[in-house]
Order: sequence, then C-alpha cells, then structure tokens
Amino acid sequence: MSLKLPDGKAGRFLLTAAPWLFFLALIVLWELVCQVFSLPEYVLPAPSAIVDAFFNVEFSRWMTHLWATLRVALMGFVVSILVAIPIAIAMMRSELLSRTLYPLLVVIQSTPVVAVAPLIIVLMGSDDPSRVLITCLLTFFPLVVSTATGINETPAELIELSRSLDAPTRRETWQIRIPYAIPHIFSGLRVAITLAIIGAVVAEFVAAEEGLGYFIQFSTSFFRIPQAFAGLFFLAVVSLLLFKSVQWAQQIFFPWSLPRK
Amino acid sequence: MRKGFTRSFLFAASLAGGLMSQGALAADKVTYQLDWLPGGDKSPVYVGVQQGFFEAEGLEVSIASGRGSTDAITKIATGQADIGSADIGALMAAKAQDDSLPVKAVYSIFNQAPHAFFTLKKNGIAELTDIDGKKVATSPFTSSNAFLPLVLKGNGLAEDAVKLTKADPGALGPMLMNGGTDAIIAWVTNIALFADQAKATGNELVVLPWSDAGLELYSSSVVASDKFLSERPDVAKRFMRAFDKSLKFTHDNPRKAAEDLHSMVPEVDVDVVTAQIGDTMKLVVNSVSDRDGLGALTEERVALTWDWVAQAEKLEKGVLNPETVIDRDLLEAL
Repeated sequence: MSLKLPDGKAGRFLLTAAPWLFFLALIVLWELVCQVFSLPEYVLPAPSAIVDAFFNVEFSRWMTHLWATLRVALMGFVVSILVAIPIAIAMMRSELLSRTLYPLLVVIQSTPVVAVAPLIIVLMGSDDPSRVLITCLLTFFPLVVSTATGINETPAELIELSRSLDAPTRRETWQIRIPYAIPHIFSGLRVAITLAIIGAVVAEFVAAEEGLGYFIQFSTSFFRIPQAFAGLFFLAVVSLLLFKSVQWAQQIFFPWSLPRK
Repeated sequence: MRKGFTRSFLFAASLAGGLMSQGALAADKVTYQLDWLPGGDKSPVYVGVQQGFFEAEGLEVSIASGRGSTDAITKIATGQADIGSADIGALMAAKAQDDSLPVKAVYSIFNQAPHAFFTLKKNGIAELTDIDGKKVATSPFTSSNAFLPLVLKGNGLAEDAVKLTKADPGALGPMLMNGGTDAIIAWVTNIALFADQAKATGNELVVLPWSDAGLELYSSSVVASDKFLSERPDVAKRFMRAFDKSLKFTHDNPRKAAEDLHSMVPEVDVDVVTAQIGDTMKLVVNSVSDRDGLGALTEERVALTWDWVAQAEKLEKGVLNPETVIDRDLLEAL
C-alpha cells in the first residue's frame, strides 16, 4: 500500500472526511444507477424516493416505532449486562461452574434465535418480556465471553502480589480483575448493543404491533419498498448512534481504559 | 434520564391502575387475533371498534397482528387471544394432526378460495389451461401451494405441469413485472396492489381465480378458543353480533372502513385499502352468501372444504370429522 496521506492539516481533514465522502459517493452512484437504468421502485428504490418516503411518514409515527424498538433493545441490553457480567465473574472464580455453564452458553449461542423466537412468543406471550428475552439471547453471549476473557487476562504477577498481601477475593476481583477487564467488557458491549437492535427487530418480526422492524415488515406487505428502505436506514442510524454512545460512555467514564494514541 | 424514567414509570403505574379500576365495572375485554398484518382484508374488526359496534355490545376489543394462520391458531389455542381470523383449512389440518386442539370455527369470512394465478396480458395466459409448461412463482409458506396440484389436476393438466419457483412474497410482483416468471400465485385480495405495479410498468394484469377453476371451499374464517366459547358464551355472542354488523358495514362503506383502519393503523393508505376491500368483498358477499347467508358454515361446504384440504395436505379423509371443528351456536344466535 503506497497510498500516502498528505501531511498536516489536509491529511487530518481527509482522514475525518473520507468515510463521509465515500458514503456520499455511494449514494450518488446508487441514485445514478436507478435513474440511468430507470429501475422500478419495487426493484431498487432510488435514494431520493427513500428520502421522500421517509418524510411521507408522520414524525410522531417514526417516534412511536423508534421508541418501541429502542425500549426492547435497551431493556434487553441492560438485562444482559446484569446477567452476563456476574456469570462471567462467577465462572472465573469456580472451575466447576465454568465447566458446567460454558457448554450450555455455547448451545444457547449456536441456536438460531430466529427459529426459537416463535416458540418463546407462544410460551411467554407476545408482550415485552418475551421480546426482551429474545434480545437477551443474542446479546448476552458476547458479553460473557468478553468479560471472562478480560478477567482471565489480568497479569498473573498482579494476582500473585494481591494474594501475597492477603487481599480478599472480593477486592482482587473489584480492584484488579474488573479494571483489567474493562476494555474487553466494552468491546463486548459494542458488539452487544448492535445485536440488541437486531434482537428487537427479530422479535418484532414474530409478534409486535409497533416498532421499526414491524414497520419494515408492514411496508413490504403493502409493497411499499421505498418506505421499507426508509425504515431500514432509520434503524441503521439508530444502531450506529447506540454503538457510538457505548464508545462515548467509555471515553467519559473509563478514559484510562482506552488505548493510548 | 433518571427523572424521565421515574416520570414514565409513574405514568405507566397510574395508567395501569386506571385501566384496572375501570375494567372492574365496565366493558368485557376481548382480544382478537389477526392471522396477518393489518390490511384491507382485515378491516371489519377495526370498523367494529371505530364505529362503536363493539362498544354498543359492552365490549372492549383489542386487536393483535399475526404472522400466518398457524400462528393465529396457536395464539388462540394457548389463550393469548380469545377469538380471531384464520384459514379454516389450516384449522382442519391442525385438528387432524392433534385432535385436542381447543379451537373452533364459528363464522366464515371468505366463502371462496382466495388463491389465483396472476399474470400479464402479454404473457398469453388467458385461461387456466394455458398455464401448462409456464414458469410460476409463489411464496414458500402460502397455503395456496398445497392446492396447486389439485387445481392443475382438476383442469386436466399434470400435477407438475408448471415450473414452480419459490420466492419471498414481496419479490413476486417484481418478478412478474420483470419477466422473471410468467405467472405468480397470490390472493385475489391483493389484485389492486399488483394491478398498480403492472400499470407502473405499462402492463395489464390478468387474474385467474382458482375458485373459477373448481376450487370450492371456505377459507378465512372467524375461529375461537373452546375456553372463550364455553366460559364466556354471552360475550362471544355479543362479539359475533357486532362483528357481523362490522362486516356488513365494511361491504357497504368500503371507503369509510378504510378510513377506520387508517385511524387505528396510520401507516395504511386509504386509497389502497379501499381497493383491497373491494377485492376482498367478492370473497365474502357473492352467490354463495346469497344462497347460504353471510358467515354461514353449511355442512355440505364444510365437508367439501375438508375434501380439498385432506387431498391437498395428503391426509386420510377419515382422520377428521370436519364437523368437529365447527361451532354454529354463535351463527344461530345472530
């Protein structure tokens, strides 16, 4: 790769602007393809048609659907954190527990949630709890794995030191292992937050009366493809913002855990 | 954030409290389960809510969307809903496999098969026998697929006379318009939607309903759980009285019905839904309903339906007495 950035200000500008410019170029190309080949809307709607469709839906409806999806995704995310991190800590402390639980966790993770979702709805009803469970099934495994990895990667000499000083396990966990695990936990959280949105959408595909996933499904049932795309993009933007929020949370609350630039 | 959360929690709590105290003295609650997403063909129950027909019977009806007949039947069987709409054929097939399924059909909505071939005029398929050797696309999970071989056989064609491909329901229209397939299988309730697509590409849509080709059966019906029927028979009676009224209102005032649906499901377009209702009503009010009455489930046609379903699902005819999935008490009380 001999692509070299220009030095100084221009280089930095290019670095920030590149993703945006690339994205813009893609959109322009897409619009051009649609116009030049005059593709019908239901095959591939042009970006301009998608923007039109977006503004044709009332803002309050967008907010209703957004809130429905966000609510489930965030509840699932929070429940996952509350479940996954203690499980990871417990598994680190006890080999028996680790050996007992790990296979089960892998089984849960390898089961396609899309296939299980209808069964969950039948068992638990078509309200929020089942949607949150579906979301948790997707989000909690990466959290357990990343937390466990982080905890296990604590330098052995620090653990030895704390043991030689007779520090109780609780302090060893909270003051040495967890801080060391923070970067790992956050990379798990970043994966989990996007999975939470996917989980909420999967749940909405199976049973829901509102939400962005439901909205997309509903739009296609009326062959309103541009509107479905508008929903899709909205969903992607929300997902991106949530992903960013996790990064911001790390920057604000755990700045020391970020790699030094 | 915290304040917002507290506020919304308080709001939710007061709302729940309000609902509970109200429920104690007021309307009987009924949950109606749709077998698909809201659309023109599902509008009568929305009409009942908006026009106050349910309220006049002292009912508070909530509507849940579904994802297919089997989904709706399962939710009604497990008590998540009291009553709803589902294909009577799906109910018969389910009952044939599990006799204990606690769900019964109480009212027919479609007294004709909704399945049809959709094609374009330029493809030269003017009648059903012209389909011989053509490419046909269908969606993977539609109940139509099971009836296809029977319809072909009934018209003197081989069971594999067409080259069948399966695709997502949303892709069928585009495939037809692009020439990716010669015909598609869809429901006549969506004629307006496909006709629009055809017009947009400068084509003319041709519809060949399977009911014209000899497929005589009940299809979408109102089905209810045994529990609802036995524990709250009076509520069930009042519900069906209002539903019957709603269906008639929908037939007489398609545009008003579409507006009623729109006011509860703002995403639907009133024009599109009005057209859908027009297409749908041909399956509801027709020569069969003129002869037997609206909603009727005659013994003869129920038996005929089971004949078709048993053949389509490759089930022994003897495994089910089709009368066991029917409950006519509500119809008689109308």
